Amino acid sequence: MPFRFFPSRLRQLFRAALLLGLPFALWQLWQANREGDGSHDLWRATYDPIHFAPAILQARDEDCLVCHREVLLDRVREKSPAGLPAQARRAAYQEVSTYAGEQETFHRRHLVTPLARELMDLRCNTCHVGHEPRDEAPGTSATAIRQGSLRKQVDVESTCLKCHGRLNPEQMGLPGPWPEVKAAFGDSCLSCHASIRSVRHRVNYLKAEAIEAAAAKDSEICHGCHGGRAWYRLSYPYPRHPWPGSESSLPAWAKDRATESEARFLPPPTVDRESRQKP
Amino acid sequence: MARNRKIDHDELKAALERKLRQTEQAARPARQLGFVHHNVDCIGCRACEIACKDKNGLPPGPRFRRVLPIEGGRFPDVYAYKINMACNHCAEPACLPTCPTGAIWKRGDNGVVDIDSSLCIGCRKCEAACPYGAPQWDPQEWVVKKCNMCIDELEAGRKPYCVMACMMRVLDIGPIEDLWQGRWPTTAVGPGEKPVRQVRHMANPELTGPSIAFVAHRKGRVDER
Ligand code: HEC
Ligand code: HEC
Ligand code: HEC
Ligand code: HEC
Ligand code: HEC
Repeated sequence: MPFRFFPSRLRQLFRAALLLGLPFALWQLWQANREGDGSHDLWRATYDPIHFAPAILQARDEDCLVCHREVLLDRVREKSPAGLPAQARRAAYQEVSTYAGEQETFHRRHLVTPLARELMDLRCNTCHVGHEPRDEAPGTSATAIRQGSLRKQVDVESTCLKCHGRLNPEQMGLPGPWPEVKAAFGDSCLSCHASIRSVRHRVNYLKAEAIEAAAAKDSEICHGCHGGRAWYRLSYPYPRHPWPGSESSLPAWAKDRATESEARFLPPPTVDRESRQKP
Repeated sequence: MARNRKIDHDELKAALERKLRQTEQAARPARQLGFVHHNVDCIGCRACEIACKDKNGLPPGPRFRRVLPIEGGRFPDVYAYKINMACNHCAEPACLPTCPTGAIWKRGDNGVVDIDSSLCIGCRKCEAACPYGAPQWDPQEWVVKKCNMCIDELEAGRKPYCVMACMMRVLDIGPIEDLWQGRWPTTAVGPGEKPVRQVRHMANPELTGPSIAFVAHRKGRVDER
């Protein structure tokens, strides 16, 4: 009966196929791993633990730049596709005394251009605290990062808003928006802020002394991060550090303000120990 | 693009001046249009996304519109819904003031935040500044592009491609104030449902005043439990 014949023949064929096929499949896998089309490496890099907490919070910029060199290398186009030269136009916020140089990309303006280097020490993980590539919304998978906002890898409200929010003239008792009233205050924030809220910028991404030194020469420095480049309608609710001469009673608006900067931005403890040891 | 075409520099300059007058400050439109999306009835087929990519001729990478599947909970209290967002055509867009060349402006007639990517120099500042991830980087053309609510379709009296592609009819446009008030007749909002301005995980609307309305899922509500 052909019925009998076929199954045994099939079994033999099967065995032969397995014997030959299995090593072949393994060899193929090994090949793909070794060279592949690069997609394997891409996935491995995409899911590198460095993109997730806690590793990302401990990463140094060099660690990220190994793979993301382009972030600091990419430049703007020389000309827009319609032929508009990049240097032909400046936005209003680029027509101020502190602005220098040519048009630059977002990352370069915060990490490598002269003003950024003078005043700040932003790091990749000041803004990038991790995101799950599989997730388009925060918090929907077991490995997900629970902070952040839809469609963004960087949360605007807890990063950009600190330096690009509105100045709050009502709260400061200013009679109007800064550009209109600044003449009355000698065009300087320091006319008040030499003594008010004088404990400020003690965070690892700002250079506190350099900021004060630069501001003593050009008041646009303070305004630049506090209202001068305000992309958003909100003001950032800054922590309210007690300062020498501050009253112990809190104004009503400050009742639920923090009194210290976020822990992850506090300067390393060694700096603290040194200052405590001083008499 | 315009690589082989001769550039009329006078016309370019005139166009730029025209544009710049519009860009220094965001226009306050007589009537602001916005999108409305039903988070629960959306089945997540992404036809809107594909229609959008098709209309705008986008390569892999940039996605003006995104359907965001949200899932979670523990048995038996599990949930799944979709949030669907493109550009929210904000009252005070964050992208607009950051643009150094005047490529982005807000239209006075319908409040659409429009972009002329042929003026873009690829500095990517708008992309970073937008709290809702609307501006999209096109690495092949080295410019940023974004949703303009299919302004050409609007001007022809039609609706955007994404809306027309929605087989569940859960995505629509309309005057945003009327949508928020529940006064605008639309298939995206069912009887007795009240659209909201924010859902869980969406960046704070106070930042820029986005023109977006959602019918939220019970687990996506932020105003009440
Ligand atoms: C081993 C190489 C590698 C290292 C190290 C690395 N990345 Fe990545 N990163 C990748 C790859 C690959 C992707 C995916 C790119 C893609 O899909 O286009 C990615 C994606 C990203 C993205 C999202 C980009 C996008 O278009 O979705 C961000 C943001 C990012 N990385 C930031 C960082 C930061 C910050 C660090 C340092 C803490 C870092 N990366 C370290 C390889 C790396
Ligand atoms: C001032 C905050 C800030 C800092 C500092 C910063 N980034 Fe970013 N980065 C952003 C924002 C905002 C985006 C846009 C992503 C989005 O819209 O969510 C971005 C995007 C990216 C992307 C994706 C870009 C792409 O091509 O798709 C990568 C990769 C990245 N950053 C890497 C880095 C690395 C590496 C560093 C450190 C050298 C760094 N960033 C420092 C804010 C920052
Ligand atoms: C710690 C303060 C700080 C943070 C945080 C910060 N910026 Fe800035 N930003 C600056 C400073 C300072 C400048 C001015 C740089 C210059 O003029 O060289 C600037 C400049 C800019 C510019 C104009 C750049 C140009 O070409 O003139 C844009 C746009 C911008 N920031 C967007 C953002 C966005 C978006 C974020 C959040 C992802 C952000 N910034 C986070 C301090 C900050
Ligand atoms: C008339 C004096 C005066 C001037 C001038 C002034 N400020 Fe203030 N500022 C104040 C007072 C008062 C407060 C609130 C102090 C408190 O916390 O009780 C304040 C608070 C602040 C805060 C913290 C706001 C918060 O929400 O915690 C910032 C930031 C600030 N000022 C920046 C500036 C900058 C930048 C300038 C210059 C452009 C400036 N100020 C000019 C008086 C002034
Ligand atoms: C490079 C951007 C930058 C510049 C320049 C800058 N600030 Fe700030 N400022 C910040 C950031 C960021 C914070 C919040 C730091 C934190 O979280 O503790 C802050 C916080 C403050 C606060 C709140 C202080 C508190 O109680 O913690 C005051 C007041 C203030 N700045 C005033 C000024 C004045 C006055 C100047 C000019 C001398 C100035 N800033 C220049 C970025 C800047």
